[in-house]
Amino acid sequence: MPSPSTLRRFTSQPARQVVLGALAGASLVGAVAGCAPSNVSAGTEGRAPSGSVPTTATSASAAGGSSVSHAYRDGTYSTDGHYTSPNGPETVGVTLTLKSGVVTDVQITEHPTSANTRLFQKHFASGIKDVVVGKKLDDLNVGVVAGSSLTGQGFNDAVSVIKGEAS
Amino acid sequence: MESFKFEAIGTLFEVRTAHPLGDGLEWALLNEAERFDWVWSRFRPDSLVAQMRANGGRWDLPAESSRLSALYSRLYRVTDGGVNPWVGSSLERLGYGPGYELVPVGGPEPAPSWDAQHLWQGAAVVLAHPAVLDIGAAGKGLLVDLFGAILEEAGHSEYLIDGSGDIRHAGSEPIRAALEHPYQPDEAIGVVELQNGALCASAGNRRAWGDGLHHLLDARTGAPVETVVATWAMAEDAMTADGIATALFVCPGADLVGEFPAIEWLQVFSDGHAEGSPAFIEGLFT
Repeated sequence: MPSPSTLRRFTSQPARQVVLGALAGASLVGAVAGCAPSNVSAGTEGRAPSGSVPTTATSASAAGGSSVSHAYRDGTYSTDGHYTSPNGPETVGVTLTLKSGVVTDVQITEHPTSANTRLFQKHFASGIKDVVVGKKLDDLNVGVVAGSSLTGQGFNDAVSVIKGEAS
Repeated sequence: MESFKFEAIGTLFEVRTAHPLGDGLEWALLNEAERFDWVWSRFRPDSLVAQMRANGGRWDLPAESSRLSALYSRLYRVTDGGVNPWVGSSLERLGYGPGYELVPVGGPEPAPSWDAQHLWQGAAVVLAHPAVLDIGAAGKGLLVDLFGAILEEAGHSEYLIDGSGDIRHAGSEPIRAALEHPYQPDEAIGVVELQNGALCASAGNRRAWGDGLHHLLDARTGAPVETVVATWAMAEDAMTADGIATALFVCPGADLVGEFPAIEWLQVFSDGHAEGSPAFIEGLFT
C-alpha cells in the first residue's frame, strides 16, 4: 500500500502530466490532453511513434496524399505502456489514430491489477471532449434532468425587476 | 411514482416516491426546509448566519454543521482557497445578498482567509469580526441529504429527490439523467445513469445578473469564474456531489479526485470543450 502522501502526490497532478510521466512515448501521449501537436516529429520514419512495436496497425491509408514530411503513416496504432506504480509494475494500453501526422484520436485502455491501480488508471482515462453537442430533451428517454434552469421565484422576480428598470 | 413539489430555500424541489408521502411526511420535509433556511440563509435577516454577520462572536450551530465544515475544510485545502465558506462578503459585494439587490457596490474582493479570525469547526463558529458564512457550495446538497434521511427513516427505500440540479436517488431501478445544455435549457449534452447516489449540476449562467455577474466565484479573487460554464459531479451523497460541482469551477477535476477518489466529474468550458471522468465523457453525445 502506498502511504497517503504518495497517493496524494500521485493522483493530484493533472491527468496529462500523470500520463506523460507514466508512459514511454511522451510526445504522443501529450495528445491525451487535447492539445495535439500539429504534427508528430519525434522518432524514426515508419516506426510506431511510441518507440515500441505496434501490436496492430489498421486502416492505414498512407498512399492517400501523405507527403514525405510526415514521419508516420496514417493508421491506428496500439501499444502498451509500462510504468512502476506504488503497487509494482503496471500496464496501460494506448491506441491512437494518426492522420497526416496529426493525432486525431487517443484511447487509453485500462489494465488494472489492483484497486489502487484501478483508481490511478481511471484517472488517466479522464476524457477530453472537443465540443459538447446538444440533443433535444424531448427526444431523450430520461427520468430526470440535471441542470440549473429551475430557479426560485425570489431570484427570478429580482431579475424581472432589474430588466424592467433597465428597459 | 408519487410526486411532491414545493419551493424551499429559494428554489424548487421535487420528491418522488414509490408510495405516497402523506400529510405528516410532507409537513416534515417542509418543516426541515424551514429550519435549514432559518439557520443557514444569507438572504433572510433573522437567520443565524445573518446574526453572525451583524455581530461576530461565538455561535453554536446545529448538528449538520459538522458534516458541512468537514467538507468545506477538504474543499478549501484541495482548491487552495478557491472554495471558501467566508466568500459571503464577496458575493454580497457583487449584489448577491439579502433582498437580491443584484447591484454591485464595488469591484470583486477576495474572501477573507479561513484563519484564526474566522473559526468554523464542528458545530462551533468563532468570529473575531463579523463575517458572512456562505454554504452555497454544498448547502442545497446537504438539504437534499437531510430530506433523504427523513424519507428513509419513514421507511421509503425507493425515492428520487430533485433539488433543481441536486439529485439524490435510492432504489433498485437506476434512473437515466440528462445533463442539461448550459446554453439551451431544452437540450441535453449527454445522459448518465444514477443509482443509490447523488448527481449534482452547477452552472453560472442561469443565476446571472448582467455583465458577467453570477454566483460562482473564485474566492481567491472574489470574481465570477468565466472559463468554466457548467459542471456535474456524482458522489455517494448530495452534499459532497454539490461541493465537488462547485469546486470544479475553480479546480481541475483530476486534483479533486486525489482528495475524493469515489467521485465522477465533468467540466464544460466556455469554449465548448469538456473534460471529465469516463462515466461522464462516455455519456456525452457525439
